[in-house]
Amino acid sequence: MSPAPRAAAPLIMLLPALVLVPLGLVLPGLIHGGGWDLVGAFLAAALTPSLDPQVLQSVFGGLAVTAGMALLGWLASLLLGLGLGLASSRLIWQQLVGTAQPAEGIRRLLAVPRSIHELLWGLLLLQLVGLQPAVAVVAIALPYGALIARVVSDQLDALPTENVDALRAAGAPAAAALVTALGPALLPGLLSYGGYRLECALRSATLLGVFGLGGLGNELRLTLQSLEFHELWTGLWVLLAVMLLLELGLGRLRRRWLMPRRLELRSGRRNGANAVGRSGREMVLALLALLPVGVLVGHALAVDPLALTHWQTLPPWSPDWTTTLGLPWLGLVGSTVGLTLVAACLAVGLAPLLLLLTAPWPWAQRLLGFGWALARLWPPPLTALLLLFVLKPGLVTAGLALGLHNLGILGRLLRESVEDTSAATARGLEAGGCGPRLALLYGRFPPLARSYLAYGAYRSDVMLRETVVVGLVGASGLGSQLLESLSSFAWDELLALLGVYALLTLAGEDLSDRLRRRLLAEQPLPHVRG
Amino acid sequence: MPISPVLELEAITVPGRQQPRLANLSLRIEAGERVALLGPSGAGKSSLIAVANGLLAPGSGQVRWEGQPPARAGRRRRRQQARIGTLWQDLRLIEELTVQQNLNAARLAVWGWPRALLNLLLPLDTAACQEALRRMELDPALLDQPVAALSGGQRQRVAMARMLRQEPTLLLADEPLASLDPRLAAELLALLLAQAQPPRALLLSLHRPDLLAGFDRVIGLREGRLLFDQPLPRIDAGLLAELYGQANR
Repeated sequence: MSPAPRAAAPLIMLLPALVLVPLGLVLPGLIHGGGWDLVGAFLAAALTPSLDPQVLQSVFGGLAVTAGMALLGWLASLLLGLGLGLASSRLIWQQLVGTAQPAEGIRRLLAVPRSIHELLWGLLLLQLVGLQPAVAVVAIALPYGALIARVVSDQLDALPTENVDALRAAGAPAAAALVTALGPALLPGLLSYGGYRLECALRSATLLGVFGLGGLGNELRLTLQSLEFHELWTGLWVLLAVMLLLELGLGRLRRRWLMPRRLELRSGRRNGANAVGRSGREMVLALLALLPVGVLVGHALAVDPLALTHWQTLPPWSPDWTTTLGLPWLGLVGSTVGLTLVAACLAVGLAPLLLLLTAPWPWAQRLLGFGWALARLWPPPLTALLLLFVLKPGLVTAGLALGLHNLGILGRLLRESVEDTSAATARGLEAGGCGPRLALLYGRFPPLARSYLAYGAYRSDVMLRETVVVGLVGASGLGSQLLESLSSFAWDELLALLGVYALLTLAGEDLSDRLRRRLLAEQPLPHVRG
Repeated sequence: MPISPVLELEAITVPGRQQPRLANLSLRIEAGERVALLGPSGAGKSSLIAVANGLLAPGSGQVRWEGQPPARAGRRRRRQQARIGTLWQDLRLIEELTVQQNLNAARLAVWGWPRALLNLLLPLDTAACQEALRRMELDPALLDQPVAALSGGQRQRVAMARMLRQEPTLLLADEPLASLDPRLAAELLALLLAQAQPPRALLLSLHRPDLLAGFDRVIGLREGRLLFDQPLPRIDAGLLAELYGQANR
């Protein structure tokens, strides 16, 4: 008997796009009839954003707050992540104390802040201490810090230790040997990842604004809700320009400092060990220069960390565990997983499919890149609100909003990686009469297909965490229930929901890690989690 | 009705930075002809191969494949391209796919999307692929091996098998023997020459004049110009010295 067919990786890349079939069947039933004129007006307004001085002033004011919150949250997460990363590294404990046991414990503890989305941190803190500028900063710093800590410790523990051993054998103290032998190899990868997190922080700060924590996000939500589309587009265009400038600037720095890209789709083998000496000094100096900038921004935004210790008077807690147990847990978990699957299949499968469809026309690919830039900066809850103009609320609508946002992220990554692969095989196929689409599928997708899928697995686990941000319009899933319990001060429900949510995201993380290990088999894990 | 030449180049010029990469070059290759292309490094051999397989559009002059000028784009052009097989120096095999999937990649020009996708899932056209391997003196059991697992010699033969599976009338090869040891180079050249039977023709660029034995005609190219185009018996040490000697001066 012949062995069961094994699909080649480039084909598996496209399989998730099959979700379009059930979506195509379900969507007509979800259209509620009205609202097309609103969508038309929204799209038309893109070309005529408001240039009213008052609007511009409020947009730029909002942008300054959002950018400041992002910068501060990011800086704090870097410091936090570096410290916690060192504290959870097996290698460090082994070298300093002689046992790696404590590292394992700290790692497990860090899984908790990592599994809770920054929006939840933000809303929780908002309930506890009221609207403070420090809330958004801490909400970003906590989960990001835990994420960065994991990357730091993973990278540290993957480095060869021979150099450390050699220095220690020559009599160097443990700390000095670790810094000298591992610092230069760690720095470029860490900074590259750190740079990517700054992009994420800008998106997160915008999202937190949408939920009332101030800044441009707030402006965007208000203008969308009051149907002031011209003003909305003023904010969107400004945000898009800032985001693209940031991506461009970070890309330049990556090249200058020979840093690995956000994610090496092809191998992950290239490490940053070549970027030492002058570049190393530049990197450290640039990092140090950011600290006083952070202090100035903090001062300008009136961020006061001490304000977080002054809790508001909360309604008395009268736990009612029977109501909590009576929540439809199975349905909540099921719809959260369903929402994640819809979003993940859309994002992972559509990116290669759209690249293939537009392959013959360079202009269409540029347009696609532009659309993806808009999709990743546009916060998913706003996409969801926009979709509600024409669709009924529910799992599919929420999944669409989340999927489109992540499509912007995955699409950009895939497109950049495709452009980085050698064109030789594809050109060879074209010389044999193969069309541009099949030349892309056969000539350029195969070397990066497995890593793309591995990244897709990681991204799906991020999407599971992000289901909470579309919970508001999803009208389904743990996210929507969480927001409801939070706003009604039902702390017992909230505790139980957070616990289940954390367990679910940790299970998702474990599953996606296994999947990635299998996909990358002999290859090392992509050294950058983004 | 007279049969059109498989390849016809007429007054081809390809501009370059300092001097043209090809200058006013004309040649015809008839079905069944086995033509060697000689010349020192930078003489324009790769440019000539690239013009011949349509990857490089000349600045001026006319290319004709089997009597027809290249179509501008679209299905007709792809059908024309499918009649031209190229053996690349770097082989351009798809490392992540199996030998069979690589061999079938040569059929993408004539297959539609369903078969192209199915090829990534199931072994298609097994008999034809086995035959292609046998013609290259390879074990048909290699079909389900990933290309990355093959030895250097096997990879060369798989690349040749893939080119033939395209069923081309014009075989082009851009220095395919450059990085091979002498024994392997001689074996592969013999296999290639054996495939160039009418209606097929072969144009192969070479670095080594000692491998000319099986060719009918030799073209000498220097600084983008045609220095000579002679039947093999008329190639002597003097011509070769003129081709390489002056270039090295």
